Amino acid sequence: MSPPSLCAAPPRAGPPPPPLLRLRRRAVSSVAASRSAAPSVSDDLVLRIAEQLEDAAPSSPLLDPLRSASALSLLTTPWPTRRSNEAFRFTDISYLRSLPISTPTRTPGLAPPTPSSDLDSHVLFSDGRLVAASGAHVSALADMPPGHARDRAAAAVAASARFSHRDIFYDFNAVGASDVAVVYVPEWAKMADDPVHIMFAYSGSDGASLMMSNPRVLVIAEKGAEVAIVEEHFGVGEEDGGCYWANPVVDIIVEEGGRVVHSYVQRQSPAAAHTKWTTVQQNTSSKYEFVEVSTGARLNRHNLHIQQLGPETETELSTFHLTSQNKQIHDLHSRLILDHPRGFSRQLHKLIACGTGNGIFDGNIQVNRYAQQTDAGQQTKCLLLSPKAVVNVKPNLQIIADDVKCTHGAAISGDLDPNELFYFQARGVDAKTATDALLFSFGAQVINRIPFKAIEKKALAQLKELLAVSRQNN
Amino acid sequence: MAPPFAVAVAAVSSSSPLFSSSSSRPILRRHPLLGSISVRPRHRSAVASAAATESAGKLLLEVHGLTASVKETGQQILKGVDLTIREGEVHAIMGKNGSGKSTLTKVLVGHPHYEVTGGTILFKGENLIDMEPEERSLAGLFMSFQAPIEIPGVSNYDFLLMAINARREKDGLPALGPLEFYSVVSQKVEALKMEPKILDRNVNEGFSGGERKRNEILQLSVLGADLALLDEIDSGLDVDALEDVAHAVNGLLTPQNSVLMITHYQRLLDLIKPSYVHIMESGKIVKTGDSSLASHINEGGYKSIASFV
Repeated sequence: MSPPSLCAAPPRAGPPPPPLLRLRRRAVSSVAASRSAAPSVSDDLVLRIAEQLEDAAPSSPLLDPLRSASALSLLTTPWPTRRSNEAFRFTDISYLRSLPISTPTRTPGLAPPTPSSDLDSHVLFSDGRLVAASGAHVSALADMPPGHARDRAAAAVAASARFSHRDIFYDFNAVGASDVAVVYVPEWAKMADDPVHIMFAYSGSDGASLMMSNPRVLVIAEKGAEVAIVEEHFGVGEEDGGCYWANPVVDIIVEEGGRVVHSYVQRQSPAAAHTKWTTVQQNTSSKYEFVEVSTGARLNRHNLHIQQLGPETETELSTFHLTSQNKQIHDLHSRLILDHPRGFSRQLHKLIACGTGNGIFDGNIQVNRYAQQTDAGQQTKCLLLSPKAVVNVKPNLQIIADDVKCTHGAAISGDLDPNELFYFQARGVDAKTATDALLFSFGAQVINRIPFKAIEKKALAQLKELLAVSRQNN
Repeated sequence: MAPPFAVAVAAVSSSSPLFSSSSSRPILRRHPLLGSISVRPRHRSAVASAAATESAGKLLLEVHGLTASVKETGQQILKGVDLTIREGEVHAIMGKNGSGKSTLTKVLVGHPHYEVTGGTILFKGENLIDMEPEERSLAGLFMSFQAPIEIPGVSNYDFLLMAINARREKDGLPALGPLEFYSVVSQKVEALKMEPKILDRNVNEGFSGGERKRNEILQLSVLGADLALLDEIDSGLDVDALEDVAHAVNGLLTPQNSVLMITHYQRLLDLIKPSYVHIMESGKIVKTGDSSLASHINEGGYKSIASFV
């Protein structure tokens, strides 16, 4: 079927589009109308990208409610700037505007060789298109057989249209996603030791444009279910994929007593842009354990949003960002919203900034009125390895409940702990070697929390390599 | 060359008139046990040829008039320390809290917190003060930390491997691979009755007090040392653990290498027999004797030493 056109909708040969799609088209054609009618509220750039994504995305009835809502939202959302948008106050996203946007061609003929996974359950996205999904509880949304799981997944996708904290990147993904990979774990199924490996491979186009991909994943752990997922984002082909824009979204729902173990490795090409959303909804007594290692991309922005839906949840977040190249930007915006009693959370964010790199951390924890007896801890540690590296750190706890235990700490230093260095020296290891080892261990402290050896090892090896390169450059 | 004991006594008398040998003589008469020690150390007298071997033992460490202060505040801690250690000797330093014992060992290994303001330190005839901490370590000096710090993210195994390979590189030996090293280190772990899992854990992270101390001695036994400075290895150890640690240290002692230990307690000295016991006070070594000096302190406290004068 030909790609749906955004502006004009001339009738074409072929089967008539399903009713939902028609609705969407009406909504979107109003985009075009409003472009001329109310230029003050619409942003040309936003609309242009939305149109391109619309044109490229194949029809998918199950995604339509979400697409329509996001298309509408994009109508009135301006491109975020540092001055106009608090969430981007420290994050310079002008890199995304430096080149025109292109979308992946529909024929994956020249696609570079796709990587394979050692794990039984795996999902592969290539430039945002879902090309493989195998495993007991893994499927493309479009391929799910009718039944409870499919209804549940479709409802969850539709419900994300009402996600109130979204930004244009979330909406771009909703408009541009061609399908959703669904990891659906039924009640009481335990598969935390046998992770689902979700690989996101990206490649650039000709270098004259930013090729934009919008992969989307939905993870549902039903009551008492346990699941582990490993997310890996990387470039393939020449120059590690070169210039592209990855804009993935992963939505996670953890039902009562469920547990999700989530590892996330982002090692995109040095010329890539990576804007990522991870949303998590945690029901009563559920557990969410997240480990992130982000070393790639010229511009990296991760929005991590966790919403508590019931009491006694446990949340563990460990993240490590490394800006090893000049002008590299790594940004983590995390938000944990606690609305119910006796939640427990621990967050550790670590960051190394080298050269003229820029690290941003905005860690928001809201302990609302009914979240009594919450135990929330947040810690951030930043190392600046050069005089021109910059970090902007904004840990913020908003506490309304009055019977809570909340701790937070932020440490930014330009040097390693001299006592640690001396301990090495006292055993005959010179200061330079000790520095290397300590920088490595700074990141390893987070990477070691990845519960899967092969993934952990690969991430550690890459960290070692990047530190060696950045030392040579400086 | 004068025997080390004589050097030490001379040093004491020159640096502190209160503890001149003549003023201590009446006390020796009142304390026949102590007197016999000072004149002829009991431990050594048991070995007929002790004096002869001692004077034959090569000089390992010579500290003269060492003064040092805290770099940041300029507060002087060491106020003229004299100490001579020969090969094969076991020395113990005792003294009240804050008398400068730990500072002395830290200054010897080049801790950046302190600044040497005067005096000399010769280790195997070389000027130690001009050497970087890692050079001192490679030269054969080892200090076990009183409070070893945690190094999150660095496994104990990797740490030991880095240290041993630094040593091998200096000796012109090829670096050991992780697998080759395992057989070396696993024996030492077993000898110290430590859990093999300790190697996978990060350096001192989440270790109990006892595990940290054992870990220091594990490093010593893997790396070896001509002179080991053991700073309160007995604190925080239970009786059994102390025996394991002492056994390991004794196992490392040869006629060529030496130990200087800091302790508050007799129990350690019962397990690792010192040839000399030094008492430190206000940044100086004020008295030197043999192991019975330690039992004297154990019974009467440091007051009993002070009451000599």
